[in-house]
Amino acid sequence: MTAIQPSVASRPGLNDLLTGFGPDAAGDGPVITVRVPVAGLEAAVRRIAAHPGARLADVFASAGGPVTLRLVWGLDADRRYLITESLIDGDSYPSLSAIAPAAFAEECEIYEQFGIRPADGRPLNRVALPPGAGPDWPRLGRAPAGPPAGVHAPHHVGGHAFEFPFGPVRQVAVESLYYGLVTSGEELVDLYLFTWHKHRGVEWRLRGLTPRDALFQVERTEGLGAVGNAWAFAAAAEAALGLQPPPRAMAARAIALELERLYNHAAATAALCQSTGLVIGQAAAEIALERLLRVNAAVFGHRYLFGVVDIGGTRAEPDLAALRSDLPGAYGELKRAADALMSTNSFLDRLEATGILAEEAARRLGLVGPVARATGLAADTRADHPAWPYGEFPLAVAVADTGDVLARFRVMLTEAAESVRLIGEIGGAAAGPGLALSPAAGPGRLAGSGLGWAESSRGESMAWVALDGSGRITRARLRPAAVRNWRGFDDACRSQNVFTDIPIIEASFWLTVAGTSR
Amino acid sequence: MPLWTLRGLRRGVVTTRYPARPDPSAGLLPTPPAFRPGALTRDLAERLATVCPSRALARDGDVLVFDAGACTACGRCRAEAPEATASSGEFELAATARAHLIKRIPVRPA
Amino acid sequence: MTGQGTTDLTVPENAEELRRTVTRLFGRSLHIRTLDTGSCAACEQEIRLLAAPHYDLNRLGFFFTPAPRHADLLMVTGPMVRAFEDAARKTYDAIPDPKIVVATGACALGGVYQPDAFTHGGVGGTLPVDVWIPGCPPSPLALLQGLLVAVGRLAEKVKSLDFSLNGTPT
Repeated sequence: MTAIQPSVASRPGLNDLLTGFGPDAAGDGPVITVRVPVAGLEAAVRRIAAHPGARLADVFASAGGPVTLRLVWGLDADRRYLITESLIDGDSYPSLSAIAPAAFAEECEIYEQFGIRPADGRPLNRVALPPGAGPDWPRLGRAPAGPPAGVHAPHHVGGHAFEFPFGPVRQVAVESLYYGLVTSGEELVDLYLFTWHKHRGVEWRLRGLTPRDALFQVERTEGLGAVGNAWAFAAAAEAALGLQPPPRAMAARAIALELERLYNHAAATAALCQSTGLVIGQAAAEIALERLLRVNAAVFGHRYLFGVVDIGGTRAEPDLAALRSDLPGAYGELKRAADALMSTNSFLDRLEATGILAEEAARRLGLVGPVARATGLAADTRADHPAWPYGEFPLAVAVADTGDVLARFRVMLTEAAESVRLIGEIGGAAAGPGLALSPAAGPGRLAGSGLGWAESSRGESMAWVALDGSGRITRARLRPAAVRNWRGFDDACRSQNVFTDIPIIEASFWLTVAGTSR
Repeated sequence: MPLWTLRGLRRGVVTTRYPARPDPSAGLLPTPPAFRPGALTRDLAERLATVCPSRALARDGDVLVFDAGACTACGRCRAEAPEATASSGEFELAATARAHLIKRIPVRPA
Repeated sequence: MTGQGTTDLTVPENAEELRRTVTRLFGRSLHIRTLDTGSCAACEQEIRLLAAPHYDLNRLGFFFTPAPRHADLLMVTGPMVRAFEDAARKTYDAIPDPKIVVATGACALGGVYQPDAFTHGGVGGTLPVDVWIPGCPPSPLALLQGLLVAVGRLAEKVKSLDFSLNGTPT
């Protein structure tokens, strides 16, 4: 989200952190960029990781003579993002996941796409490109010297445990995903995922497009997160181009984002009921979901809110009268279903103490969204890195502390109520016929790079773009929340659960495969 | 389960009568465009083909070739040429052959 | 539609006879298996809603089944990511004849993705498709219409639409 507010006064700790980087720190807005020579990268990572409230939000590379490695840190307590840029000359760099385990999956993908690897030589997993991807396979950079290990690491199989594959073709009307299940009978010892079956090479395909043309593909990367991901991408392009969307457009975007959150939480409720065999609860939640999707269609012209976000504003004029008349009834369905569920002990019994994630695990793995907030980690981009209108209309961040399926469900229900409240307040700001939905002036510049973010229903969605002199994309990085949160799924499943708990845990995470396998 | 049973009974039936009766919610759905041959020039047809992000539009001589199967109803062609397009209102688009979805719309020769 | 395998099924002489055969076999009860070849997940959400109270596909004699052996119709979404091809073919092969393949959504029909190293850009080149349902995503109503066309209970409409505004239909 591009911030319209002036920057918040920094705490002394942040200044100390930045002075440590010398005069190379640039940027006084919500994003600070720092050049760090690779020799100093390990020390820098340690220092930043030790800074209070620091969180490794993303790691990605860009091709070049030497590859540029960027680490994006959320300094949530200081309301800043910090990007470190390092040029990697050879084919290795200091191991990041040894200090910040959240970086592991990104290190794996960087190896597949750019051929550079952490210096400690530990085995890497295949995460993006399929097993047949030889040296000539299209990549974002150069091919690695050898394929990543075929076996998922770390991987425990011992004693009487055996391993069996499940998927990628799974139950009806769920996405394709391969689970490797390691079990000693009923109890789940380990679980790992192969996420490359749906990899469509979106980042590769976006190169050479204008940001506006790219939005079409970005929305369809993860259709159930179209607004969140498109907002993050548009914000990145706007930061690169020096574009400021007008307030009415930002208000319309926020309404769309909250509507997206609402329908996803309703869908998660339905999935939770289905996973526990409570068919009648599922039906009630599905009635709510269908009504919410019709609200989306009535207000913005599309059930899944495709085509709302535009570069510099919004494409769609929201029908605020329809919003006022239709949303209360639709949300009422969800509220009544949720209240009935919270009084149904047979349902709650399945949720309590299932799929437990500790706050420490959420921190270590860099988890985001309701999954992280349910462990006690109170991070929400709308509060920590607010773009207008979120800063103006304060938000109560929903947090729980047991980290189980029930906690995640509670967080989603609290967020849904909060979304309805926010829509009501922001709705006033979105009105005003005659005010622009796009900026009056064109972009201030064509070339540049920028970071964008949005709190999608699954958590923080990030994007970074670099544009050349003709305004076309040279590098687009998309990091939907699912990229982070799937790595918490393994942990949650392993905590003394049985097979029948897996669909319940999966429903409580409510991720998509498309969001990570892109 | 009396809580659920009573609520369900009170809620009543929400099921659509489709196909026996049309469903009013269909009016909310985005639909592929329809084109005005009288307003289409070769030039405009070229522009529409460029603007379509899903390769549903192409110009073939004096014909605009519209692939309703590739169309996502995104509305970019409508925004580019509002005078030459309108929403078709059609959502019952299932076809028993892929060719049934390819439409040829004449373009003004001038 | 692949028409071999059952005792009373000889190769139909013409399209009309084929249509009657399909309607006789599947018109009253049909089991559906879905196949995600790389979708964005929106098509799956609309398909899930077919079983929801607003649409209730069961009332029309349609049922979802996870077991390919039990299925009559394969509903395929996504642009056929090449890395998924093997799994797609195995699923198709596991469904006994006679079966119907329905390509669902713009990605499966050849929109959104162009053929390249990552995807085929549509499912038509990999699986023999009988019915094509456009949409991004196709709404549950569009999906219901597509299924009813597939089993011969509704006549196809789009063949006679010309998407032209000059007094003729649509």
